Parts: sequence; C-alpha cells; structure tokens
Amino acid sequence: MLLQKLIGRNQRLDAYLDVAEFLSGLFLVGFLWTHMLFVATIIFGTKIFNKVPAILDATYISYVGIFMVIIVILLHMLVAGRKIPANLQDQLIIWRHARRLSQKDTWTWVFQVVTGISILILASIHIWAILSGWPINAQISAGRVQETFFWFYMLFLVVCEYHAGIGIYRIAVKWGWIHRQKVGKVLTVITCSIVILGLAALLIFRFVIKAGGAP
Amino acid sequence: MSLFNIHLTDVLVIGAGLAGERAAVEAASFGCDVTILSLVPPRRSHSTAAQGGMQASLGNCAKGLGDNPDIHFEDTVKGSDWGCEQDVARLFVNVAPIAIRQLAFWGVPWNRVVAGKRKLPDGSIIEELKEKEGLITARAFGGTAKWRTCYTSDGTGHSVQYTMDSIVVKLGVTVHDRIEAMALIHDGERCYGAVARDLRTGELRAYVSKATVIATGGYGRIYGISTNAVINEGTGMAIAQDTGVVPLGNMEAVQFHPTGLFPVWILITEGARGDGGYLLDKNEHRFMPDYEPVKKELASRDVVSRCMIQHMRKGFGVETDMGTHLWLDIRHLGAKHIHTNLREIDNICKNFAGIDPVKELIPVRPTQHYSMGGIRTNIDGHAYGLKGLFAAGEASCWDLHGFNRLGGNSLAETIVMGLIVGEKVAEYTEGTEFVLPQRLVQDHMKKQQERIDKLIKASNNGENVYELRRKMEETLMEKVGIFRNGKDLEEAVHTLQDLLKRSQNISLRSSGKGANPELASALRLPGMIRLALSIAYGALMRTESRGSHAREDYPQRDDVNWLKRTLATWPEGNELPELSYEPVTITELPPGDRGYGEASQSGKSKE
Amino acid sequence: MIRRTLTIEVFRFNPQTPDIKPYMETYTVKEVPNMTLFVALNTIREEQDPSLMFDFVCRAAICGSCAMLVNGRPRLACKTLTKTLPSHIKLLPLPVFKLIGDLSVDTGTWFRHLNLKTQAWIHTDKTFDPKAIEERMDNETALKIYEAERCIECGCCVAGCATANIRDDFLGAAGLNKIARFMVDPRDKRSDQNFFEVIGTDEGVFGCMGLMACDDNCPQELPLQMQLAFVRRRMAMTGIFGGK
Ligand SMILES: Cc1cc2nc3c(=O)[nH]c(=O)nc-3n(C[C@H](O)[C@H](O)[C@H](O)COP(=O)(O)OP(=O)(O)OC[C@H]3O[C@@H](n4cnc5c(N)ncnc54)[C@H](O)[C@@H]3O)c2cc1C
Ligand code: SF4
Ligand code: SF4
Ligand code: FES
Repeated sequence: MLLQKLIGRNQRLDAYLDVAEFLSGLFLVGFLWTHMLFVATIIFGTKIFNKVPAILDATYISYVGIFMVIIVILLHMLVAGRKIPANLQDQLIIWRHARRLSQKDTWTWVFQVVTGISILILASIHIWAILSGWPINAQISAGRVQETFFWFYMLFLVVCEYHAGIGIYRIAVKWGWIHRQKVGKVLTVITCSIVILGLAALLIFRFVIKAGGAP
Repeated sequence: MSLFNIHLTDVLVIGAGLAGERAAVEAASFGCDVTILSLVPPRRSHSTAAQGGMQASLGNCAKGLGDNPDIHFEDTVKGSDWGCEQDVARLFVNVAPIAIRQLAFWGVPWNRVVAGKRKLPDGSIIEELKEKEGLITARAFGGTAKWRTCYTSDGTGHSVQYTMDSIVVKLGVTVHDRIEAMALIHDGERCYGAVARDLRTGELRAYVSKATVIATGGYGRIYGISTNAVINEGTGMAIAQDTGVVPLGNMEAVQFHPTGLFPVWILITEGARGDGGYLLDKNEHRFMPDYEPVKKELASRDVVSRCMIQHMRKGFGVETDMGTHLWLDIRHLGAKHIHTNLREIDNICKNFAGIDPVKELIPVRPTQHYSMGGIRTNIDGHAYGLKGLFAAGEASCWDLHGFNRLGGNSLAETIVMGLIVGEKVAEYTEGTEFVLPQRLVQDHMKKQQERIDKLIKASNNGENVYELRRKMEETLMEKVGIFRNGKDLEEAVHTLQDLLKRSQNISLRSSGKGANPELASALRLPGMIRLALSIAYGALMRTESRGSHAREDYPQRDDVNWLKRTLATWPEGNELPELSYEPVTITELPPGDRGYGEASQSGKSKE
Repeated sequence: MIRRTLTIEVFRFNPQTPDIKPYMETYTVKEVPNMTLFVALNTIREEQDPSLMFDFVCRAAICGSCAMLVNGRPRLACKTLTKTLPSHIKLLPLPVFKLIGDLSVDTGTWFRHLNLKTQAWIHTDKTFDPKAIEERMDNETALKIYEAERCIECGCCVAGCATANIRDDFLGAAGLNKIARFMVDPRDKRSDQNFFEVIGTDEGVFGCMGLMACDDNCPQELPLQMQLAFVRRRMAMTGIFGGK
C-alpha cells in the first residue's frame, strides 16, 4: 500500500460509511413506506386524510421530520454515491460489463444509480411544492395533482418505490440471513402493493377530491 | 547463453502436487532455499482431484476400532501382490497417522466421529463411541480390513492440497508456475538441476540446484482412456529416463479404476462403492458377489476391474454405439447421503452425463487410473543412478504399491514420502557443495534450444503430432490394457517403436513461436512414447500375472521366477529400454494368498 | 437426432505479438452427444488451429483452470455442455485477470497474491506434537469449514463482479469467502480485529456492493451471499464497537 494511504487513512472509515449507507437507506425506506401509507389514507376519505398531518403538525413531528429527511437524503446521497465510479472510463466499463453479463442484480444497480439521481431532482421539486403550498391537506394536494403535477407524481411514485424496493432488497442481501430469492419475492409483493396504493391515492386526488385552497 | 536465464537454488522441486509441496515444505523448514516448478498453479495440480481419501490407521470410527499399522501393513503388502518393498511399507504405515494429524494441525477439516448408532446401507447397525467423538473418522475403501480412509466429505485431495499450499505461501517458498522442466542437467554422475521452458513466453531457463526432486505425478494421459488430468503426461519420468542412467521401476504395473464415467472417463470415486454402491450388469443383476463372495464390490481395484471386463466379455455389458459399459447403482443410499457425502459424484453425473444418480443408474467402465511404476528410488527417495536426484509421489517408484495400489494409499504416500524425502534432501544439501557447472548447463540449454529450433524450422510435410499421439494412446489402450497377452504386447512394441521413429520427424502446422501449445506437445511426445514402450516391453517380458498385470497366457503369479522388480533404463540411441531386474525386499510377510482375486480361487470355476 | 453445427467465435490475442490487434476468429465444429466446450476446443486445436491457447487440467470441474466468458457469462468451460447453448457461441477470456493469450488468463498469480494478502493459512502459536493424538473438533464445524473451502479459485466470481472490474485491489467474493473459512475455524487464533485490519476497508468487505454476480456465477455453488453477509456483519461490529 502507498505510504500516504497507510498513514493518512482512518482504519474504520469504510466501515462507518457502509453502515451509514445501510442505516440511512433503512431510514429512508421506512419513511417512504409510512409516507405512502399516510397518503393512502385518502382512500378512507378526506377527513381521515387531513387528520394525519394535523396530528403530525401538532406533535411537531412533521417539522423535525421533514428537516431530518432532507438531511438523511443528503447523507444517503453522499455515502451511497461514493460507489459510483468517478471517471468516465470506469463508468463505461460498468456499463459494458452489465451488458455483457446480463445479470439482473448488476443491472438493477445501474438503474439504482439512475433512479437515485432522478430522485434527487424529483424530490427537490416535490419538497419545494409542498413547502410553498404549506400546510398539507387533501384539497391542496388534489389541487396540485389536478393542475400540473399528475404525471410528475406518477413518475415520482414509481421511481421512488422502485429505488426503495431495490434498496431494501440490497440491504437485506448484504446484511441479512435470508436467501435472496425469498427476500426478492417478499419485497416485490410489498413494493407492488405500495405502488398500487399510491396509484389509487393519486387517482382519487385526480378525479374524486375537489380541489381548493385552505379549508 | 547469458547468465540471466539461470536461477540458483538449494533445492529444486519439479511438481507442485501434494508430494512436491510436502517435500518442499519439509526442506524449507530445515532452512533450505527451495524453488518449486509446476506446469500449472499448485492448486490446480491433479492431487486436487482425489476425492475419496487417505489411509492412516487411526482406528477411531466404529468399523476401524482396533486398527493399527500392522494391519495397514498387511493390507498394503497383500494389495501389492507382494510386489512392494516391505521396509518401505513398514516405514509408510508407521508415519501415516502422524502425517494425517499434522495435516489436521495445519488446517485440513477432516470429517470427525459423531457418537451414536447409525444404520449402514447394508442394514447393519454400528455404534460410534462417545470417547472417540470429535476425532478423525474414516470410510471403507477397497482391499482394506478396517475402515481406514480419512476424508473431508468428497474433496480430500482438494482440502489437503489447499492446506499444503497455504503452508507453502506462509513459508514464502518460491513457486514458478507455468514452467515445464524439459531435461535434467547432469554429467552421468550427479544431477545439477533442470532446463525448463516458460509456458507463458516459450523461453528457456536453467535452474541449478544442489538437489532436485521430481514430483510430477502420473502418466495417465498416454492411455487414451484415463481418469487423469490432461497435464498428467509423465514428463517427469521421461526426463529422468532420458538421462540414460536413471531406471524406471515396474512400468508394466498400471492400475485401472473400476468406475470411470462412460464415455468421458471422469472418475466416480471408490467412495461410492465404499459407502455401499453396487455394480449391475445389463440385466440389472448385481454380479460382483458371483466372482467375489466376500469382498464383493470392495475387492482391490485390479480384481474388480478384471471381473468387470470378464463379465462384459461374457456378454453382460450394456452395448452402445460408443462402446460397452456396466452400471453403478447408488440409488439405495438415498438423496440425503448422495447430496452431502457424495455430492461430487452427484455433480459429475449431472454435469457430464445429464444423469441424476438419486434416480438413475450411472454408466461406468474400468479406466486407466494410476501408475505404480516410476522413477526408482531407495527408501530415502534418492533416485538410482544420479546423485542429487530424488523423486516423490506418483512419479516415483519408492515401491510402496508393488503391482497394485490400494485406494487411499497414494494420497497418503505423497504426504508421507514428501515428508521423508524433504528431510533427506535437506540432509543431502547440508553436506553438499553448491557447484555451477557453466559449460554443462550451457550444453544442456543448447541441446533443448536445438530441439525447439528444429521443430520450428521443419518443413510442413512431416508427421502430425496429434495423429501420432492418438495412435500411441490407442495402441496402449487396446494392447496393453487390463488383460494382456504375448501376441498383442509384441504388436504394441512394434507399433510404438515405429511411432518413436516417426516422432523424430514431426512438423508443426502452426508457427511454434512463443507459448505455442502444439510445440509443447511435440516436445513431450518422444518421451511419452518411450514411457509407453517401457510399459509394453516390460509387460511383454514379465511372463506371469501379478496384481494389475494380468497375462492371459500366464494367468498365475510366479514367485519362483518373478518375485522381482523390472528396471528400465534408456541409454541414448537405443530403440528399446534396457531391462534389468532386482529382488523385492521381503522383511515380514512372505508371499501368500491375498484372500481375494483369482489366486485365492484358483481351481474354483466361477467362470 | 439431427446434429447441429456449432459456430464458435473465439477471442484471439497474443501479448507476445502486440502488433496483431485483438480480433475474433470463427470456427465451426460438428456437435456430438454430451459435448462440452473442453471437447469442442480441443477438437478445434487438433484439427483446425493448433496455435489456439486455452487452459484445461482436470476437465472435471475440480481444478478451476478453465473459466472463461461463455456468451458473456463466466463459466467453467469443461463443465459447459454445448447442448445448453445456442449454436452460436462466443468465447472471451475472463476479465480482471492478466491475459496470457487467447482464452488463457493468469488466475494463479492473482490468487497466490490474494492468499498472501489475506494470510490465508491457520494462525496459531502452538507447535505440532507428533506423539499426541489430534485435537478434537465437532463434525459440524469441520463441515462448515469445508463448505467454504470448496472454492476452486476459478475466478468466475471475480470476473462477474462489477467492483472487481473497476478496482484492481478488491479482494472479491473469493477473498472474503476465504476469510470466512478461517473465521469459523477454531484452530485459527486470529481475532476479529486482526481480520478487520485485512478486510475492513473498501478493498475488502466494504467495497462489495452486494450485486451478487458472484453468487450467481460460482460454479461450486458456494453460498456466497451468506458468506459475504456473515463477514460484513462481523466486520461492521468490529469496526464500530472495536471487536469482541
Ligand atoms: C481422479 C483421481 C482420483 C484419485 N483419488 C484418490 C483417492 O481418493 N485417494 C488416493 O489416495 N489417491 C487418489 N488418486 C491418486 C492420487 O491423487 C495421485 O496419485 C496423487 O495425487 C499424485 O500426487 P503427486 O503429488 O505425485 O502428483 P500431482 O498431484 O499429479 O502433481 C504433479 C505436479 O507436477 C507438475 N508437473 C508435471 N510435469 C511437470 C514438468 N515437466 N515440469 C514442471 N512441473 C511438472 C504438475 O504441474 C503438478 O503440479 C486419485 C487419482 C485420480 C486421477
Ligand atoms: S456481491 Fe457483487 S460486489 Fe460483492 S463480491 Fe459479489 S459480485 Fe462483487
Ligand atoms: S468462490 Fe466460486 S466462483 Fe469464486 S473463485 Fe471460488 S469457486 Fe470460483
Ligand atoms: S479443467 Fe479443471 S475446472 Fe475445468
């Protein structure tokens, strides 16, 4: 090993980073899934839906929460992104490698990078939209969806859930005890259910709820 | 020649299989500077293919209780049909348990005794003792009175080789892989190392040493049908014989394994029969009890192979357009047993024949497997004829195996002999001055370079190396196989002599430059044909049957005239090997009945 | 049965003659029953092109010599039956390893280096006593060690690994599996901290991205996913809490 690396390096850094990737990923998936469940309460009507942010606001969870989520997203971006090859040459190698090997898990990793980067952009738009239209309630959300954001949210939903599904699969494979064929099956079911819930919610917002400003 | 192509070392070990690495480790532990050469990375050596196991009389498992070196000795001598050196066998059986335990110390994960009752496939119940729990266990192998073959599931050779190599890496022993030794450097008295060819670049190099150990394994591949790896071409024996002064011992003793997978000749380990597998004929009749009522499938290899051939000759074989075969049946051992203890067999059947042995029968046939013969050495592993030349493992004729090797004894031999030879080599180098005979080295290098140049320059209407090779393989297979007779052997000798002449006139069809594989084959072929001739000629001259050497025209063992070992030297320019004979050392067990095989049923007409 | 004619496209390049740039050469061979790539390639060498370089030793999927990319995937050529392939077969040498020529690569040197780097031998302060009987070991433990030791160092996992393709210091699944082999061996006295020093970095277990190409391509069907996760958990604990 090069001398400068030997004396300059923190023995434990790589371990910390990998654990940070694992924990931040786990946190974000947890967040995303609960978030989707909350959104899906719209299926039971605007009343119930509106209760959720109200409670979260009252307990200040949303204020701290949003802030934390943003921080964790940034952290996750940094630690997970450290594995993306920095130079074009290596990126090309990975690309060619994935094509030649045509192995599912390698491809999903390539997609993970692509979806990860898209999520960064989509999520910033989403957060900006939410914050600029604060607070959260069914009417405002429906307004957003019906005005301009329907296709945006369709895309966002799918990309996010895909990234989360694959991400949690990867975490299970890397750290868990269960054989990955099994993990894969369970997670596909979960991800599909959540996407369906999300779609249902979106459709309800689009076609059922009356849009409007503050109640 | 520039001095830059010379590599100097105390001990040169040619061959990185188990024998070579064990010898190297021992010599290195005495402080010698050791260099190992190998055709392939050490862990790809053929020793890794040994699945069955390794014999040592530990006596830990239920069916091995009461075992000791004496019983092991008796089995070995009987197995050899009294052809082995009894002082060597005694030394071997005494050291084997220590050698096995040392391997355990180094890291081999031997399977261990699990206490409790257990039902064997034949229905009998045995009980493993509580007090033996956790000690090294053993399985049954052909020709042994006790269960004595220690094993690691189905990968004994693999585990032992990986462990040995881990010690080689740990000690930092120099290993040059993809290097082929082509000739020994010698002056007719002493060996000074070897000329070798780099198989990456095609360049020649000289390795000059105080002592040289040949541990190059067997020559299986000169037979067309063999369980051996494709690198087992006997080059180590050939270069020793090529010196003109070093004799090869008992080359006519060639072992056939009863169960090569038909028709790809991959070995189905004896473990299959040891664990209770049956041999069936075309009527799915279990025929071995008809020939061998006591030992049945577990008689020694030579006997089982001959019974199989006889049974096929009687018309009970399964005919196919690729030849005749019999069946091996392990279905009754159950899926669990097959998937764990015999996993390798399961894989081989699936991968190479598309068969599921849990449900289907396995097509098998006797296949060339082991060379008892080799470079004749004394009990220290020092070769006859040249000072400073040693041999170990399958390449040697230490003479532990005589005319038939017991399964599990050759892995044990590589380790035990490696250990002993390594120490003797260290002793030898200790008392020897290092000399660099520049002139001699230069001459030997030049001679090899000329062979290469001649092949590269040869016009392209000469002989085709692959054609000659195929002819040699067929000749041995058809005429110097399991059953032999004077007429066939004589024809074989003539054909081979003709091939030897033609092999001087090979021309390449490719450029031959660099690491060219055709050139490598062309360089090896004449030596291989000389080995083939030593086998065929030795077999022709030996007018008796003993162990694996079965003459149809002389079916009896003849202790009066033939209780002796063939020595084949090849003086330069000769057309045939020069045969001489030496007596077999008998110290403890006078020749007698093996208790199985034809001799013990002479007069009985099982035919 | 109608016998197919196989078109086999082979990568050709000899580093000894660098002027001739790498190219693909096409051969055709008649398929025979139970034909493996071992048989096919040898037929080509003996009958069509004696200069073709490739490596076989055991031809029985034991020695790990013959790994190559078969239609893009790392496979042992000796145990690849042609009937499992389409009639057009493309053969490339394994990536990551140093090319010797055509389909032949130097896995041996790579693995020797790996064994040195991971110090893949039993570390103990005991000395062997030739007079004593062996130390006892649980058969279960022996089987567990053997399960990891079954690796034949063929390099398929390394060649399939995206990480190894861009990081030449990455130990690969084979290296991490080796560590697992010694971790479960009671004879090895190394502490988790010792192991951490060798593999607790991005060269080792934390470089692995969990893509499982190794797990999918190991011809020995080693449980690499489980082994990698086992090592990762142990090493993360050690990294964070300083070992047991
Ligand atoms: C399929 C099979 C299964 C077997 N199973 C068992 C079993 O269960 N139990 C048992 O006891 N025995 C078994 N045997 C026999 C046993 O494996 C061998 O006899 C033993 O491994 C030989 O070891 P070795 O070290 O002498 O040679 P090998 O392991 O063959 O090693 C030879 C070495 O020499 C090198 N070499 C060769 N020529 C040259 C050259 N010219 N220059 C440089 N290097 C060279 C090679 O590269 C290699 O490293 C089996 C054999 C086979 C074929
Ligand atoms: S899981 Fe992926 S990154 Fe890790 S070793 Fe296997 S192939 Fe390489
Ligand atoms: S882990 Fe599997 S794929 Fe990797 S080198 Fe070992 S046997 Fe080959
Ligand atoms: S030749 Fe040994 S694994 Fe293929």
